[in-house]
Parts: sequence; structure tokens; C-alpha cells
Amino acid sequence: MPQLDTSTWFTTIMTMLPTLYLIMQLKLLNTNHHQPPLTKTPTLQSHNVRWQPKWTKTCLPLSQPQQF
Amino acid sequence: MNENLFTPFSAPTILNQPATIPIILFPTLLILTPKHPINNRLATIQQNLTRFTLKQMMMTHNAKGQTWSLMLTSLITFTATTNLLGLMPYSFTPTTQLSMNLAMAIPLWAGTVMVGLRFKTKNSLAHLLPQGTPTPLIPMLVAIETISLLIQPVALAVRLTANITAGHLLMHLIGNTVLALSTTNLSMALLASTLLVLLTILEIAVALIQAYVFTLLISLYLRNNT
Repeated sequence: MPQLDTSTWFTTIMTMLPTLYLIMQLKLLNTNHHQPPLTKTPTLQSHNVRWQPKWTKTCLPLSQPQQF
Repeated sequence: MNENLFTPFSAPTILNQPATIPIILFPTLLILTPKHPINNRLATIQQNLTRFTLKQMMMTHNAKGQTWSLMLTSLITFTATTNLLGLMPYSFTPTTQLSMNLAMAIPLWAGTVMVGLRFKTKNSLAHLLPQGTPTPLIPMLVAIETISLLIQPVALAVRLTANITAGHLLMHLIGNTVLALSTTNLSMALLASTLLVLLTILEIAVALIQAYVFTLLISLYLRNNT
């Protein structure tokens, strides 16, 4: 049976090892699985103003009366 | 007769140089790695197949077992493409070589055993004794389970070698039968050629299944040990 001829075993094993463990794994790592764009809804800007406009006058800089 | 039957399985040489090296490296050329987000159909099919097999295989493992996912995916891809490419006429299938299958099976099996022995020593050693055995039988059963553990890598390698070799041999023999019968008895030749068609379909299935079984068993040994 030619499979039992051990003279070729070294070449076969030495070729298979980098192919399987190095090249194949690098190829699989480099396949990018891109998500399709626009899958997530962007979070809406939350209008959470912590201060009330009646007791602070610094919310809008242009609303201050001009002081000389 | 023996010599002629088995010559497709001897390692091929081109001008006395070993041709096994480019033949083993060839399946890696068929894996496409495009960099775009949207690819052509072939690349998308390959990507989806890889994702599908990855999900199927690694679903049953815990986090520690899933660190092996790259290894197992590359194993099943390599074995399946090598087996399928060997179905073409006059091609050489590296997985018919016992050397390659032993070199694939022994390190992977040893890796799973060592992972089990290192991280879950009690549990992995407890696998050596099935539950509920009567006490006088324990030494014999431990010996039997140890032998069945040690035979796992050899069984993996020989199973893959023998299945692919036997399938290729059958196709050679039936093909020669059809050729020889075509001159003398045409109806028998047609019957044998339908047999050949069915056998080719079986061989395609066997190619895929063997890859699957190899990987599945290794992942099973891994699951037992993580």
C-alpha cells in the first residue's frame, strides 16, 4: 500500500502543518464579517436640561443684559 | 493488480520533485478574503457558509471551548475542500495519506486531553469510569476506558483515510468496469454507469460528512474536557 511508504511522510506532514495551522487560519481571520449599515437606530438627543431658565441667567450667553 | 489499483494513492512527483506541497497548499487559494463590506456572490456565499458552520459547531460549547473555534473552523474547511477537490478525475487527495491524518488527529486529540487534565483534572479523570458500575468491576472498566481513550486519535485518522480511500477505489473499479463493458455488452455498461453516477453522489456526501465527523468528534472530546 503506497500510503505506508514512510519516505514521503515527512514532506506531507511538514506541508500540512503550516497549511492548516497558519495559512488557513490567517485566511479565515481575514474574512471580514461586516454588519450591514444602518442596523442600529441612533439614540435621539435627550433634551435633559438640568437647570430651569427662571433662576439662572447663564444658559444663553447672548441673553445677558450688556454690562459695561 | 494490486500495484495498479493503488497507484493513485502514492505521493505524486513532478520531475522527481514532491508535488504534494502545492497540492496540499491549493485549497487555501480557494478561500476568498475580500476587504469590501459588500462582496460578489461567491465571496458572500463563502462567508455565509463559514458563519453558518461556525455557529452550528460552537453553539454547544462554553466560553472556554469557544476559544477553539478558529481551529475547528479551519479544520472543517480544510478537510471538506480537500476531500471535494479529490473527487475530480486524476487528482490526488492528501487526506488519503495516513501520515497527514495522523498528524492532524494526534495533536488535536492530545490538546483536548491536556486541556481537560489541566483545568478540570477530577472531572476528566472521572470520565474513565461510567456511573453505576458494581465495585468488583472497577479496575477492569478503568483499563477498558483508558484503552478506548488512547485509541481515539488512531480511530480518527484511520477512519478518514479508509473512507476516502475506499470511495476512490470503488469509483476507479466501477469506472473500469463500465469502460470494459462498453464494447461487449452495452446495456450492462449503462447499468454500471448509473451505478457510477450514484456512487459519485455518494462520494460527494462522504467527502463532506467525513470532514464533519472529524471535526465533530474533536469538538466532542473538547466538550468533555472543558
